[in-house]
Amino acid sequence: MENNDKAYEKNFTQPIIRYGRLTNLLGIFLSFIPALVMYFYYDTFPGVQNILKGWMLIASIYGIYAIVEPISYFPILGLPGTYMSFLAGNIGNMRVPCSAIAQEALGVSPGTKKAELVSTLGIAGSIITNIIIVTIAAVGGAALMNAFPPIIIEAFKYVSPAIFGAIFALYASKNYKYGIFSLVLVGIMLLGIKFLPTYIMIPVAVFGTVAFAFKTNSKSKK
Amino acid sequence: MKDYLNIANSPLLWISAFPIALLVVLQALIFSKRALSSAKYVGLSQNEAKKAFKVGAISAIGPAMGVFVVMLGLMSVIGGPLAWMRLSIIGAAPTELAAAGMAAKAMGKELTSPEYGIMEFANATWVMALNGSAWLLTTGLFSHKVEGLTNKISGGDPKKLGILMISAMCGAFGYLFGNELIKVLNKETRAFAISGISAAIAMLFLEKIAKKHPKLGEYNLGIAMIVGMAFAVLYLHLIV
Repeated sequence: MENNDKAYEKNFTQPIIRYGRLTNLLGIFLSFIPALVMYFYYDTFPGVQNILKGWMLIASIYGIYAIVEPISYFPILGLPGTYMSFLAGNIGNMRVPCSAIAQEALGVSPGTKKAELVSTLGIAGSIITNIIIVTIAAVGGAALMNAFPPIIIEAFKYVSPAIFGAIFALYASKNYKYGIFSLVLVGIMLLGIKFLPTYIMIPVAVFGTVAFAFKTNSKSKK
Repeated sequence: MKDYLNIANSPLLWISAFPIALLVVLQALIFSKRALSSAKYVGLSQNEAKKAFKVGAISAIGPAMGVFVVMLGLMSVIGGPLAWMRLSIIGAAPTELAAAGMAAKAMGKELTSPEYGIMEFANATWVMALNGSAWLLTTGLFSHKVEGLTNKISGGDPKKLGILMISAMCGAFGYLFGNELIKVLNKETRAFAISGISAAIAMLFLEKIAKKHPKLGEYNLGIAMIVGMAFAVLYLHLIV
């Protein structure tokens, strides 16, 4: 058993950290290629001031999430899932649900190494599907839009709440106390306090529920 | 079509968007290969490993269709290549739309204004890249440190890690679901809440069935999603 743990560390965890760091940091440079093409090939440059102004405007809304989200989702995604999900995006509506369903379908218990591998593979599968569908959309474009009846296009506006509801129900059914506690906590923040920004509400919901879980768990042991 | 869209949809821009999309695929494949070759240490059979990948891939179809619909809107403003690139990586569609909007706002324009042109598009390429880089930087630099921290908190005990994961899931999705639930208060947005509630109820039933017939479990998310969307549309067309 001890040997397996060491082998897992050497064959999985360590390479994941090595490749994960490399790919995510490399992603920063690659994401600037279109901007550089506009500058060098098309001679179009909006000016440093406009770029910084636009960046400030968007960072003032979303900047804090670059710290809050990776920490809040870490207990759910684990190490490989964090590297993949923050490079590939669509975390709440695709990566986490696909990881959860893969773990559910294989019947692995959450938090184990086996679950970590199943989650890694589930997320990887979802990334390939996403790329294929997004590519079809890019190539087919508006023509595809007309191929679907309008009611189907309309229905897909409501896909995100359905995903959130389904995944919440899946995990709340594993421990109703955690689920109810979380909804009450969120309800107080959304309807009672009202003015809290999202970047406060997400970590409070996650780590508040975690704290509640550990507290009730240690009590029930005594 | 507006002039700048000729450039925004040019082959060269397609080529410039390609490397990062390739990187995303490569990372997914490298991680999968590592997972497959390490499966033997944790008692995961090769068949189970392949099934995990397949379930993830199938479950992503519905959510990706949701991305597809938003993407068509984004494409009409910033062209195919940039929309394709931004939705293959990092951001979710609403974030990217906001980033493009702010890039235009910095120059005193709107995404929908008739004056939106090549310069605003060029600004979008910079602002979107800068905005997205923040997540890549924090995860690239610090993920393994957070891993060390969670191991310390749980003492590496799988039972505690399990509680941590389940309660964190309840917390995160309690927030995401709760945010949709309160839309029931407003008549205009009520369909979102109906979609969420009906999908949640459907999932509870599907889980009970899946306990008896484990094979069906892998389609649960897909079915619950369709139930949610169907009830939202039914509500809009029959009741409103």
